[in-house]
Amino acid sequence: MLKTLIRRELLDNLMTFRFAAVLLITLLLVVVNTVVLTQDYEQRLESYNDSVKRHRQDLRNSKTYSTAYLFIDRAPNPLSIFNVGLDKRLGNYIGIYHGFMPTLWDARMHGTDNPFIAFFSSIDIVFVFEVILSLMGLIFAYDAIAGERERGTLRLILAQPIGRGQILLAKYISAMACLLVPLILSLLFALLLLTRSIPLSTADFLRIAGIVLTSFAYLSLFYLIGLLISVATPRTGTALMLAMFVWGFLILVYPNLIRVTVNPGGDIQARVKTAHNQIQQIIDEYERERQKFLENEGIAGETSEFSKALGFYHQADVNPVTLTTYIENMSVISEIRPDFEKYVPVAKRYYNFVLPLATRTVEKAWRIRKQALDEIYVRQARMDRILLKLSPVGIYDDATQAWAGTDLLGLRDFFEAAQRYRKIIIDYLYAKDAFSSREWFVADKGAVDWSTLPQFTFERSDVRTNAKRALPDMFLLLICNLVLFMAIVLIFIKSEV
Amino acid sequence: MWYIAKRELYDNFNSLRFALATVLLLGLMLTNAVVHLHEHPKRIQKYNASINESLTDLTSRADNLYTLAQEGPGLLYKKPSTLRFCADGGEPFLPNVVGGAFLWSISGGLRGFWRLNYPSTTPNLTDIRPNVTKVDWAFIIGYVLSLIAILFTFDTVSGERERGTLRLILANPIPRHTVLIGKFLGALISVGIPLALAVLMNLLVISTSSAVQIGADAWGRLGIIFFIAILYASLFLALGLLVSARVSRSAVSLVILLLIWVTFVVFVPSTLASIAGGFSSPMSTDELWQRRGELYAKRWERYDAYFAERVERSKEIQFKGEHVIAEAEEQERVNEEHLAQQIAQVKFARGTTRISPIAISQHLFESFAGTGFERHLQFLENTKTHARQFRKFIADTDSGDPESSHIIGIREGMSEKPVNPAAIPKFEDTLSLSKDFNAAAVDLLLLTLFVIVLLSGAYLAFVRVEV
Repeated sequence: MLKTLIRRELLDNLMTFRFAAVLLITLLLVVVNTVVLTQDYEQRLESYNDSVKRHRQDLRNSKTYSTAYLFIDRAPNPLSIFNVGLDKRLGNYIGIYHGFMPTLWDARMHGTDNPFIAFFSSIDIVFVFEVILSLMGLIFAYDAIAGERERGTLRLILAQPIGRGQILLAKYISAMACLLVPLILSLLFALLLLTRSIPLSTADFLRIAGIVLTSFAYLSLFYLIGLLISVATPRTGTALMLAMFVWGFLILVYPNLIRVTVNPGGDIQARVKTAHNQIQQIIDEYERERQKFLENEGIAGETSEFSKALGFYHQADVNPVTLTTYIENMSVISEIRPDFEKYVPVAKRYYNFVLPLATRTVEKAWRIRKQALDEIYVRQARMDRILLKLSPVGIYDDATQAWAGTDLLGLRDFFEAAQRYRKIIIDYLYAKDAFSSREWFVADKGAVDWSTLPQFTFERSDVRTNAKRALPDMFLLLICNLVLFMAIVLIFIKSEV
Repeated sequence: MWYIAKRELYDNFNSLRFALATVLLLGLMLTNAVVHLHEHPKRIQKYNASINESLTDLTSRADNLYTLAQEGPGLLYKKPSTLRFCADGGEPFLPNVVGGAFLWSISGGLRGFWRLNYPSTTPNLTDIRPNVTKVDWAFIIGYVLSLIAILFTFDTVSGERERGTLRLILANPIPRHTVLIGKFLGALISVGIPLALAVLMNLLVISTSSAVQIGADAWGRLGIIFFIAILYASLFLALGLLVSARVSRSAVSLVILLLIWVTFVVFVPSTLASIAGGFSSPMSTDELWQRRGELYAKRWERYDAYFAERVERSKEIQFKGEHVIAEAEEQERVNEEHLAQQIAQVKFARGTTRISPIAISQHLFESFAGTGFERHLQFLENTKTHARQFRKFIADTDSGDPESSHIIGIREGMSEKPVNPAAIPKFEDTLSLSKDFNAAAVDLLLLTLFVIVLLSGAYLAFVRVEV
């Protein structure tokens, strides 16, 4: 009996105009946007490659350690085509330096030829699904019960020896089977277009499978919302109208309201200020120790002969907004005059003293900064995300971002790798005795050999980590589905025909 | 006709959709007003503070005409619009300042003269909060009101046919077009009433606050914006009538309308703009730096070649002055070219999105609210005018000093007398309605055209309807 019902529903759904229309629109939108997104991705990849090359060239051109600029680049994530998340928004290259802790708040951006073009928001595949799948779910569901009731066929079905729950189940299964067609078909087209120009790994395919699974749960959730409305309202017209208002509110209005509701309060400024003062104190302490050393050596003073001989450039600063702490120690000279040669041992001693001190200072400041940044920016972003989850769109967006690795955690992975790389570089410098070497400040007796410098590599987190990050949201979607289904069954059982 | 319109009105007023639409619009407009009241005073404060700072800076340079000429007029700020709540227009993303850069030294003891320097944009690279659209009038009307308009008209004809009442109406001695217009007007009024209520409440909340002042000019603009909103809503009402007349069942009619709406309102603008943006590739930042470097190097080659021979002292100063001015002009020209190419790309992309009514309405709202891209271009134009004025002022003041040898560009050739700070032209960013209207005329015509085409389509469809 269940089988008969499912078959009937399936035929009913497949032969309708709305099915054809939805299929066509989904295919069209997904295909067109995939083409646009693929082009965009290729452009970003090209600019990434250019930037890597340029940064390598810059490093090779630097003769001394202190004037070297070591930059690492963040490659665009191919799965950003599915959900762009923060991938395009945050900076994509960052400096690695002993006197500076790389975080996502300090990264800079390359590769935007015309930043004005960012006016036009880009659409990713998940956004298309967010809008279209939810609409599809509601359009297929609004008349499932209300329509039968209007036509009077509901009585006929209920007269059969079949449970009401089973009727709902049959409707659910057949409608979902129908709705899966546009979803799967459009994704297949998208993958076909994608893989022609972007090589995807097995892990990427698994991540995409995760995205598909999440999309399925999202679609089902909206179908159930539609079904709930359909069960609860007597007329299809009313059901459709209500469904559309619900859709407009959940998709259009609510997600854009959340940033209004949680306005950053005034205490954020105070929090930044206290952290700023704390870090400033650490820097002051560093400055005192540095001055003490200079005085002990008898070479203090900006205008001293020592300073002139070595072309000192020193700066220790903390940014009042992002709390970026930066300690720079360098010498801008191409050679040392013969009569200043006597300062070389002092300079070596100075650098050997001050560079480890700067490294320690920056690390100490980072502990304060990390906490402050977490409290100011990360907590706020997390708050927004939680509020956003009151709409299924938010849950869906979060889960797919986690799968694609374009969420905050995914991007943090990169910056953590950058921090680890900084450590490796510092260890390498220690190992080479670079801090107390002549090549630190002058290259007149041989330039630095960069060939043995450890290379930076970054692998995106493995699928298991992605899954672990996406799981809570997927679980939430599932729970919502179950609760809704149960509510529908209860209402349907109690409703009169 | 009025009888039909009235009947439609009563029908709508008692419906659930009218109540829902009213609540939704009121809620959104209230949010918009509250946010504006919260943000706008801060914006104004920041603008005034920056202007004062810039002014103090300028006065501090007034003790010497050469310094003033060399360091330029300082930072020129964009004035925030009072009607920012109508259209945000991506303002946080656009630069609000144009700087005059000057070089401390272009070697040889020469100092570079200031030139206009355009910052590109101010992307917030540290923003990790979820991406949202600003809830401004443009959003509320563009997305929400259009959806409401569709929900009000999808069953106007097809619903009556389903219920069988269409026969009754057409049996009366009324021409069909009167019926259609009556229905259209009824729907327009029933959409217009919640909108008018919401807008009035929004303006009431905003205007009661003393922190935000709306001038007479701004009220005029608000009137135009309201008119555009009504025109935009009637476009979707006409579309709804057209589809509703063509399709036999109202459910099918709504599905078609929704799919059209989603495609044209949600997807077409961004997708088309992305495609159109890909057609041209403007000068990249790297290229800009390279061109500037090349020009700079060439200019210095000429300089060195000139001084390879012995030159008279008076001619030397003359040449140096010309050199400095030419260097600044050349660099400014490259900056402008770079900017012009970027602007051309954006303009083309914006032009193609005009297929979508929401993009047209967005442009119109931005023009009349004094925000967004067109406004930014106006601001850039204002800064250019000011730069010309400033240079003229320098030349005039210099020619008024008998001790100066009137060679602009170099200290030895110019007057070094103090300047009356009050006489220096001050930059004040202005908004002019007539300019806005020119920019908006095409959009307005296009929107009207869309409405007329759709209405006549609806008429044709309705005339051919079989009952």
